[in-house]
Amino acid sequence: MAIGNEPSQKPAVELDGVTKQFVDFSAVEDLTLSVDDGKFFALLGPSGCGKTTTLRMIGGFEEPTSGVIRLHGENVTGLKPYKRPVNTVFQSYALFPHLSIFENVAFGLRRSKVSDAEVKQRVGAVLELVQLVGRENRRPRQLSGGQQQRVALARALVNHPRVLLLDEPLGALDLKLRKEMQIELKRIQQEVGITFIHVTHDQEEAMTMADTIAVMNQGRIERMGAPTEIYEDPRTAFVSGFLGASNLMSGKVDGDRGAVALASGGVIQANPNRLPAVGAEVKVGVRPEKIQLFAPGDEDAPPNRLPGKVTDASFIGVSTHYLVDTPQAGEMTVVVQNLDDRRFALGEEVVMAWQPEHTFGVTG
Amino acid sequence: MTAIAETPRQAQETAAGEAEKRRRRVPYLLLAPGIIYLILLYVVPLISLVRMALQDGNLQAGYEFTWAWENFAEVFTTYRGQLLRSLLYSVGATVITLLIGYPLAYAIAFRTGRWKNLFLVLLLVPFLIPFLLRTLAWRTILADNGFVVTTLIDLGILPQQGGRLLATGWAVLAGLVYSFLPFMVLPIYVALEKTDRSMLEAAGDLYSNPVTAFWKVTWPLSLPGVISGTLLTLIPAAGDYINVQLLGNPQQTMMGNVIENKFLSVIDYPAAAAISITLMIAIVIAVVFYVRSVGSEDLVA
Repeated sequence: MAIGNEPSQKPAVELDGVTKQFVDFSAVEDLTLSVDDGKFFALLGPSGCGKTTTLRMIGGFEEPTSGVIRLHGENVTGLKPYKRPVNTVFQSYALFPHLSIFENVAFGLRRSKVSDAEVKQRVGAVLELVQLVGRENRRPRQLSGGQQQRVALARALVNHPRVLLLDEPLGALDLKLRKEMQIELKRIQQEVGITFIHVTHDQEEAMTMADTIAVMNQGRIERMGAPTEIYEDPRTAFVSGFLGASNLMSGKVDGDRGAVALASGGVIQANPNRLPAVGAEVKVGVRPEKIQLFAPGDEDAPPNRLPGKVTDASFIGVSTHYLVDTPQAGEMTVVVQNLDDRRFALGEEVVMAWQPEHTFGVTG
Repeated sequence: MTAIAETPRQAQETAAGEAEKRRRRVPYLLLAPGIIYLILLYVVPLISLVRMALQDGNLQAGYEFTWAWENFAEVFTTYRGQLLRSLLYSVGATVITLLIGYPLAYAIAFRTGRWKNLFLVLLLVPFLIPFLLRTLAWRTILADNGFVVTTLIDLGILPQQGGRLLATGWAVLAGLVYSFLPFMVLPIYVALEKTDRSMLEAAGDLYSNPVTAFWKVTWPLSLPGVISGTLLTLIPAAGDYINVQLLGNPQQTMMGNVIENKFLSVIDYPAAAAISITLMIAIVIAVVFYVRSVGSEDLVA
């Protein structure tokens, strides 16, 4: 079922210098972004970072203090929500308790004066898409949380919006259901081909579903790109910590070959493209799963090496998490897949080693 | 297993059964004061009222239970005017109260912001003054030489000659509306207040302009409040007699006045009882039809 319109050359959503100033603080500051048609775009950030405000401005529930919002090239700034070609899945679902599931889903179509026969056909099709056939005559409160969530999704999708806005739609579901719905949402998005703008504070959720993630912090976008790209090269300390875990070490760029002299002694090799200019202060980081552990003196170890002592080891099935105390960089986290029986005991001297291309530099 | 081994378990089971029985009794114990109160002060008087309505005789000679159904027939013949007027005034007052009260409740719930509590208190302030005094105040407000009447005459709404409000049906209506307005506003306010705002945003998101959103979402969600409010206005208004007594004249007498008169002045208890019961049944029937047609059982609490 292709609900979407012809792929457009113009970006589905464009924000140009958008600022939202509330009485005592600014929620969004000079935000510029562009989302291509048919993409799954995630706005990721901690609570209060401005991601929901950004979504509400796209939907028309908040007006920007300054800046322009365009949908498919058309300036919609100042348009009321009911005049915008977008639909929203609300965090609380906001289903109408006095209407049946069928009438909830048909609500938007009825307002657009769609004929009864077409309403019936379209509501039927979308309920099939979200697997709720047979629940038409129930009331929202007779459904489970996951089912209500899917009604909210169907109610928005049935209108064939050009952009679908999702405000933490999975926040109220338990973990298992959330995982199922993540896959389900991704499937539906691919099936209907509509642009999805998804707000979430769950980095795993964003990475599971989105083509592009914008990480927001204090009203600004800190980093935007494909999940793998921003995971491997987060560029700021905030992103490296919010998206997955990182071990950060302070140092100074030493030469143009990607060497970083750590403040506490020792040299780390990094990808020179991910470092600032020579002589600049920098923090270099490495993801816990990129580090391997070796016994001291092992010649097979990759070039970036730091000696240390194991202070904690927790076996969690698929992997073992170590805490290693190093003289140069303090305590570092290491995640080792349980491929062989080699385990390191508490207090054991080890060498942590990783490849230069797995090292990234961050600012801030 | 031997019988001796079973005995302790049986004892245990009996103890558990006892506890269970005690637990089941608790709700009834909690209900008891209310039930006793209702039986003594509502059910018993109601039965005696029905008995009274079927008696014959007079105060001097004493009353006798004779299945005197003619007492009821009299209600529809002698007092048909008052019965119809009671319905007319109470329904009229309820409609006007709703028209004034709904916007007021809406404004307090959605538009007053941090002054909300102040407005709610203002709504309840009149209750601090006795009912009788408030109604008497309306005599002054609607007096023939008061500013309301003179203004209406100046505007040409009331005739120059003999234009007055006091002792007319309008004064009675005004008094009824004033008396019961808070009973209409408060339940509607409560229903509106707990409406989830995101519901209205969702309606807007689904192509409803504010007017459609009101009729398709806000109004149906506030219906439980509207029903309570209209019932709290209609029922006491139908039996009211103070407003007619103080603001109307004998042409406006309602059933309440007839009952009061029969009970306290004429001392014709059987007739008074028959009228009371008729009025009560009429109201119950009206309420049942009203609630059925609005379909409140389907609405969310």
